[in-house]
Amino acid sequence: MKKRYLYLLLLPGLLFLTIFMIIPILLTIGTTFFTENGFSIQGYLDFFKDRYFIEILLTTLRVSLFTTIICILLGFPAAYYISKLKQRKKAIMLLLTIFPLLTSPVVRSFSWMVIIGKNGVVNKMLMGMGLIEQPLDILYTPTAIIIGLVHLFLPLIIVTLVGVMENIETDLLKAAESLGASRLAVFSKVIIPLSVPGLVIGSILVFVGSFTAYTTPALLGGKQRVISTFLYQNAITLNEWQVASIVATIMIAVTVLIISIMNGLAKKLNPKG
Amino acid sequence: MALFTLQDISVAYNKQNILKDFNLEIEKGKLVSLLGPSGCGKTTTLRLIAGFLQANEGKFLFKEKDYTKVPVNKRNFGFVFQNYALFPHLSIFDNIAFGLRLRKNSKSEIEKKVMNVLEIVNLKGFEKRYPQELSGGQKQRVAIARALVIEPDILLFDEPLSNLDANLRVNMRVEIRRIQQELGITTVYVSHDQEECFSISDQVAIMNKGIIEQLSDPATIYKYPQTKFVADFIGFKNFIEFDKRTDHEDKIELNKSGYSFVLHKDAQMTNASGKIGAIRPDDLLIREKEDMGAVLENSLSGRVKVSTYLGRSYQYVVETPIGDFTVNKEMTESYRTGQEIILEIPRNQMVLVD
Ligand SMILES: Nc1ncnc2c1ncn2[C@@H]1O[C@H](COP(=O)(O)OP(=O)(O)OP(=O)(O)O)[C@@H](O)[C@H]1O
Ligand SMILES: [Mg+2]
Repeated sequence: MKKRYLYLLLLPGLLFLTIFMIIPILLTIGTTFFTENGFSIQGYLDFFKDRYFIEILLTTLRVSLFTTIICILLGFPAAYYISKLKQRKKAIMLLLTIFPLLTSPVVRSFSWMVIIGKNGVVNKMLMGMGLIEQPLDILYTPTAIIIGLVHLFLPLIIVTLVGVMENIETDLLKAAESLGASRLAVFSKVIIPLSVPGLVIGSILVFVGSFTAYTTPALLGGKQRVISTFLYQNAITLNEWQVASIVATIMIAVTVLIISIMNGLAKKLNPKG
Repeated sequence: MALFTLQDISVAYNKQNILKDFNLEIEKGKLVSLLGPSGCGKTTTLRLIAGFLQANEGKFLFKEKDYTKVPVNKRNFGFVFQNYALFPHLSIFDNIAFGLRLRKNSKSEIEKKVMNVLEIVNLKGFEKRYPQELSGGQKQRVAIARALVIEPDILLFDEPLSNLDANLRVNMRVEIRRIQQELGITTVYVSHDQEECFSISDQVAIMNKGIIEQLSDPATIYKYPQTKFVADFIGFKNFIEFDKRTDHEDKIELNKSGYSFVLHKDAQMTNASGKIGAIRPDDLLIREKEDMGAVLENSLSGRVKVSTYLGRSYQYVVETPIGDFTVNKEMTESYRTGQEIILEIPRNQMVLVD
């Protein structure tokens, strides 16, 4: 087949995405700018004046940010360890890593309820040891959402990082050592900078995933709203489709903004990565 | 006095000995190359010196201090890798400055040293580029600069030129030798290219299955190999296993299945007991049978079995009563397959090896 006809292979997928994703999204965005009185951005202005909504947006951003940071801190060393293993062991460890992804978020959230609830395992243990008098309020707080999201997204960042770290030539590490670098220096001056591409992709996945996640915050957040549960509430419970569309558009805009910020950051950290 | 010594070193992977009772001594300022077939343990030896690898047994002495357990980053040895191993995320300047920054050199010192070494390797003006923007030869020069700039006590090269094309290889080896001699850096150089090793080394160690078969200056190895392996490796394609060797004042008498040969004795011939004669294909003589009446000394009658055209010369396989010989001959003389000929082993062209 001639090379220039190869793009035809893209067509079925492209068609599907256009009909079922791109057009609906554009329509959704379109509706937010049109009211009975024609074009207006009043909907957005109202929104950003609303303390309640701003609060939800900031909470969601904060939760996503913390989730991403914790995932990086926990995932980076684990990924490095796995990337250094021999083929067989590596395969087993990667399988174990993605195991949580194979259970439903609903099931996982319910098990967290059992663990961090008022009468949950954690509180019982801490009280049993006499460390606290009253049970801690973890469930139905942003902390609970973060715990659930870290659990959900840690595998993702580990797998992404392992992919990048595997491809760091061991000769580079040896070269650094022979030039006088201690283990720590090798890690900070070679391994971390060369992992930046994986770190960026992983962070984007985790951040965007956390920002848009629904099930976990819905179950572990209780009355604590995040942007996705807020959207759901407006659309399904309150039947406020105009509001829901505006929320959706804001979510898309924030997501795009985050991705471009992270890409910019990556370029700075690793100019030729 | 030796700068460093490997003493009775053994290295094993999965209980299989790669190096065994390995000994090597290198003097300050010399370039010694390790030459041998693939898998003989050259890289292993180099990694051991660098400290990437720990010996199971034996000692590594550096300036008479025990360095066996000193970690890589405390050794101050430069290593140049086959695939360059430049840091892709750092500019050429930063690649070279890597070791200096770890040594806490001041900014102006780093600047001065990097520029100086860039001049040595002829790469001035490239400091802002990234490794991906250089050719193979330029990358290798950066790798050399990066290893040189830390003023290493020993410089280690693992087949540094094997990814380069033939012309560049010749230029680069001349460069490496020039820099090494100018700076007087003790160097261990691994290659499996014979010509490369011979042309740049003070001494060549021929390795086989984890031991050094011979360590001498290139000319000695070329002319007087000590063992059959070394002889074979450097192109002595013909071997005669003699039954008897009798040494006289100025000659050696050799016997094989009733045929006797005489070998001119020469002061540099240090092998006093070897009974295997080795001769290069270029050094054997072929004569037409009719040329001569009486049979001369050191001659055998034979028959051309195979004749191969090599471009500049012909290669013949000659069948004789004591075995087959490979002979190279100039284009001008040609012999037919099946032709009866006389094969002569010149008195001074054979060496005796173990
Ligand atoms: N990490 C390892 N694990 C097991 N065996 C190894 C390992 N590294 C090398 N070996 C074995 O050790 C022997 C010597 O290897 P080495 O790399 O020193 O050879 P070399 O002389 O450098 O060969 P080449 O010219 O092909 O580079 C080989 O038989 C090789 O298979
Ligand atoms: Mg090797």
